[in-house]
Amino acid sequence: MITVLKAVISAALTGLLGLDAVQAGQFLLSRPAFVGPVLGWLNGCPLEGARIGILLELLYIDFIPVGGVVPPNGTAAAAAGVLAHSAGGLAPSLSFFLGLAAGAAFSPIEYRLRASRSPWNGVIEAQVNAGDISLRRWLARSLLFENAAMAVYVLAWTALAACLGYLPGIGALYPGTDFAYSLMPWLGLSGLYFRFRTQLYKKG
Amino acid sequence: MFFKMFLRSFFIQAGWNYERFQNLGFSFCLQPALEKIYPDREKLKAAVLRHLQLFNTQPYLASFVLGNVVSMEEKAAASPDPEARLKSMPGVKQALASSFASIGDRIFWGRLKPMTVQICLLVWAAGGFYGWLFTGLNVPVSMALLLAGPLAGIVFYSAFAVYWRWRGLKAGYACGGEASCGLDCVNWPRLIRLLSTAGFSMSVAIVLLAFGMLAALNCPTRASAGGLLLKLALPPAVLALHRATRAFGRSVFFAAGLVLAASVLLFSVFKLRPFYL
Repeated sequence: MITVLKAVISAALTGLLGLDAVQAGQFLLSRPAFVGPVLGWLNGCPLEGARIGILLELLYIDFIPVGGVVPPNGTAAAAAGVLAHSAGGLAPSLSFFLGLAAGAAFSPIEYRLRASRSPWNGVIEAQVNAGDISLRRWLARSLLFENAAMAVYVLAWTALAACLGYLPGIGALYPGTDFAYSLMPWLGLSGLYFRFRTQLYKKG
Repeated sequence: MFFKMFLRSFFIQAGWNYERFQNLGFSFCLQPALEKIYPDREKLKAAVLRHLQLFNTQPYLASFVLGNVVSMEEKAAASPDPEARLKSMPGVKQALASSFASIGDRIFWGRLKPMTVQICLLVWAAGGFYGWLFTGLNVPVSMALLLAGPLAGIVFYSAFAVYWRWRGLKAGYACGGEASCGLDCVNWPRLIRLLSTAGFSMSVAIVLLAFGMLAALNCPTRASAGGLLLKLALPPAVLALHRATRAFGRSVFFAAGLVLAASVLLFSVFKLRPFYL
């Protein structure tokens, strides 16, 4: 019961932190490197949380949110990864790859959320024309939808992870996922190296 | 008025949509200024509607455009022929938005954001924590150190972001109306080059440090020479794989997927004896 409660609180917190990515602030509080240890601490596995978080962060460096592109979501990835381990009971290695998939699969949802706000423009213009120039409630609505979508999404992935944990023979995957997981820091470091090497090579 | 706009600028991307991008957030940020400039309700309505049109730029440097637009609105309101003055506004706004989007994306997304990860790793290294590099090791580490890494990166990044949000507002207002407003207030190409060089140097340092740690942990006293060679060969192999996937236009996820598929095949299906770095 406590595990479920912690998962719900963690999902709600992820929803809040996720707002920082685009909607509000942009202090990088939504990055996996921060979300990972925070959720890990909340769920009693700070080391694994930090590890999953920083490795996801290193891989997510490859994606830049320019020109309205919706990159894979690092917040969803870190939260799903940490909760798959802490609440779903999966090994950290499998949880990490599950988180990676969760982050990538959030992009279409984010796309739909953004697209769903386009029709608001006409309504808001009509509202302003009618004399009501308050835009605050539209922004609040946008924040609320994003927050709720993220929280529900993370909970759904946690439930999926818990179901996977009951699959017979899931343990047989762990030698393979553990080895792949041990290579992820190096894949991430190579991403860090290539990010700046390309910039210098292209002269800014 | 400026402080209110500054606080609201943290929400410039709220309501982001595919039809007009940041228009809602931009109008929301401008509202305190527009309410002051246009006490007349009809003129205020017209001004808000003007800024509900398409707008998109880099969120931190949007302040330059905000300051500029406030200045232009003020001058138009004080002019006997406001329509003529407002005619050039969409062009100036668009030109600045495009320029600052290009500069901001390079500085913040392309350089400073990856640097926060480097700072995090360096803080952890300074605290003696390498647990992120060796996924099989369970090392005791304090929560304070685990949080200090990412927080140091966040503080470093946010200091830049908050500074430019505020300075942009002031600089944009000071030169309001010019299509090159704020573009010459800093030597942007030099700053970009400087950040690239710093980032690359830190990347090389971190990779060498990590490789040194791997070699030290698997020194010949603990592992056979063959085992050591295999373990030392794996990181360059992963780097080469990543390079190859990039050359084929694939993302790092593709490389991660290849590594996972090969590992599961070798160690889970064919049951080879597993070993970890």
